[in-house]
Amino acid sequence: MDFSYTEEQRMLADSLRRLVQDEWSFARRRARAADPALDARAWSQLADLGVLGLNIAAEHGGFGEAPASLLPVHLELGRGLVSEPVIPSAVMSATLIAACADADMRRQWLPALASGQAIVSLAYQEPGRRYDIEPEQCRVRPAADAVLQLSGAKHLVWHGAAAQAWLVSARDIDFEPMLLLVPADARGVQVRDTPTLDRARCAQIVFDDTPLPAAAIVAHGQAAIDGLAAALEWGTAALCAHAAGAMERLLEITIDYLKTRRQFGQPLAAFQVLQHRMADMLVAKEMALSMAYVAAAALTEPDVRQRRRMLAGAKLEAARAGRFVAQSAVQLHGGMGMTDELEVGDYFKRLTVIDLLLGDSAEQLAALEELA
Amino acid sequence: MDLSWTPEERRFRETVRAFANDKLPPDIRDKVLRHQRLHRDDYIRWHRILADQGWGAPTWPQAFGGTGWNAIERLIFEVECFKAGAPRLLPFGLSMIGPVLMKYGSAGQQQRFLPRIIRVDDWWCQGYSEPGSGSDLASLKTRAEVDGDHYVVNGQKTWTTLAQYADWMFCLVRTDPDAKAQRGISMLLIDMRTPGVSVRPIRTLDGGHDVNEVWLENVRVPVANRVGEAGQGWTYAKYLLGHERTGIAGLGHCHRELGILKALAARTPRRGRPILEDSRMRDRISRIEVDIMALEMLLLRVAAARGDAPGPEASVLKIRGSEIQQDLAMLQMEIAGPDAWPYDPDWMEAGAPFHGPGPDMAAAAGAGYADMRKTTIYGGTTEVQKGIIARMMLGL
Repeated sequence: MDFSYTEEQRMLADSLRRLVQDEWSFARRRARAADPALDARAWSQLADLGVLGLNIAAEHGGFGEAPASLLPVHLELGRGLVSEPVIPSAVMSATLIAACADADMRRQWLPALASGQAIVSLAYQEPGRRYDIEPEQCRVRPAADAVLQLSGAKHLVWHGAAAQAWLVSARDIDFEPMLLLVPADARGVQVRDTPTLDRARCAQIVFDDTPLPAAAIVAHGQAAIDGLAAALEWGTAALCAHAAGAMERLLEITIDYLKTRRQFGQPLAAFQVLQHRMADMLVAKEMALSMAYVAAAALTEPDVRQRRRMLAGAKLEAARAGRFVAQSAVQLHGGMGMTDELEVGDYFKRLTVIDLLLGDSAEQLAALEELA
Repeated sequence: MDLSWTPEERRFRETVRAFANDKLPPDIRDKVLRHQRLHRDDYIRWHRILADQGWGAPTWPQAFGGTGWNAIERLIFEVECFKAGAPRLLPFGLSMIGPVLMKYGSAGQQQRFLPRIIRVDDWWCQGYSEPGSGSDLASLKTRAEVDGDHYVVNGQKTWTTLAQYADWMFCLVRTDPDAKAQRGISMLLIDMRTPGVSVRPIRTLDGGHDVNEVWLENVRVPVANRVGEAGQGWTYAKYLLGHERTGIAGLGHCHRELGILKALAARTPRRGRPILEDSRMRDRISRIEVDIMALEMLLLRVAAARGDAPGPEASVLKIRGSEIQQDLAMLQMEIAGPDAWPYDPDWMEAGAPFHGPGPDMAAAAGAGYADMRKTTIYGGTTEVQKGIIARMMLGL
């Protein structure tokens, strides 16, 4: 094992820290969140630093970095609560396309994902089916002239309205699972864009006899489910690092507040009961950060059952520690923590939402039970 | 000792339940049960429906137009109204300034203000906390200087709940800058329409607007609007805070939220079956049901022992009541799961149709969870309550 950052990772992390401090400041984040459209400038800055092409192969315009590089990068993104669609597009969709798509599709999409010119998101969740990755309601049937028709509804598509295309899971007429790459401008598509609790966006997408060429098929049969699972694993690892970064920054913010705010003639930081709460927060953050390392290590773990155990454990810990650190930070901010006027609230919400994305704690516990 | 409900208490519960189910307007009930935002008129309509029944002041003695109910009857009333989906009763008049005026107000103040609380002819708000004085309330800086038969008030109040609707504010001010912290404080009744009073909204974590900052600039308040003696405001404030803390146990709220939680769990499938049937979820719901049972008995014990003047036991109620309210909101969010991620402010305002995902009561689960974090902060943080318990109950 080697825990030191490579020279490239260190430089990237340093540059990201500076970029995020300036461009993802409280005021700029809030201003961006007020506009449903993606901020093209912020997005291109992430592309320019190499965040979007991080793990995409060099032959497709990326940097071909090893999976472990997700950790330093997403820690920094989490510190700045970066809400742009890095995880759904540059991590999950890029993983899926690289693993499952044919050469033509890879050539068409991976360079665009790496440069940020294209955003692709996963449309895999269906209403009433929580985190189930097996599609059920979305159906594909053949129509005339080698054309397929897609019908059904997907929801909670992370930044779905900002995407130029979605990777959509569906069933064919034999109930075989398949994955399709559906351009957002295809016919018979309705998108409803909704803000989320953590000031990101998600979309509800309805397909009504949407025509697609046969070339839209990314994967068919078990390969489709495996591809989706792999994409979720990469997304989970990135999300765990993001959560640990957010916790780390929230600790700093809370320490600053306790040192500044005075009650009963002394700074809040002087009260032992509050010091102990901060100590508990640090312990929780360290455990979650350690599990973010476990998650990054999982991506190169060849034993599939062990890999899933590691990722389920990391996601559980990120959710539990994230919730505790977030609740504690609000409590320590007192009345100011109840308001929407400080950034503690934004960190609280992101850390709350970690549990709701990519499989909640009940889902991870069920997975661990099946893997035991 | 007889720990069973008497036949009279059972009948009373049935009477209240039937009344609430019959008279509570369905539009208000639906908003409450879906956690959509309530507005001024929603509260006032319900208060006046109760007033028409003679139940407008359930915690007051009959001499002041109240029901004269005992503590157990009040508790039954609160729980049944909440379960039916009624808005909470506005505490500012009924539970806060009302009891203070009954005990410390002049006859003139009692006659002028108390009857108008019952139908919310006057909407009251609480001017206590200041930006620099939260847990350390006695350090408040808003000052009132005598000028003839008026006080001239300058300062800033914060966390003033529903001040945007308020006609009057009971306000702690410093009338003697030279006295020690608690001694120099007086309580004034301030007409919110007086020149120099301005209200600025504070958005809270859930995106809602319940609390405000209130700025007071050269506000002229007749000396006749001072409650009791000058310099005794701290005594009145403490008396009032005791009342606030028993209500803050939120027993009715807990019962209502438990009902919503179960309904949500019954309507939310996981792997093809309602989450309510999941044994892990059943365990967690059972735990919360036991918590609520214990909270209810604690409240009854405290009420029976202390009646109108709860002592430090109120801190025990506040700590557990607020934690259980948070646990309920957290479990609701977990049941909603992925459906708690989207946040649609338009729907929260009840002006827009519901577009999903999931059952409509899931839509506010994320915001509700965020909002409930306030319960361990307002009305004296959990840390402050533990300090009170350590000093006053443990003698430490």
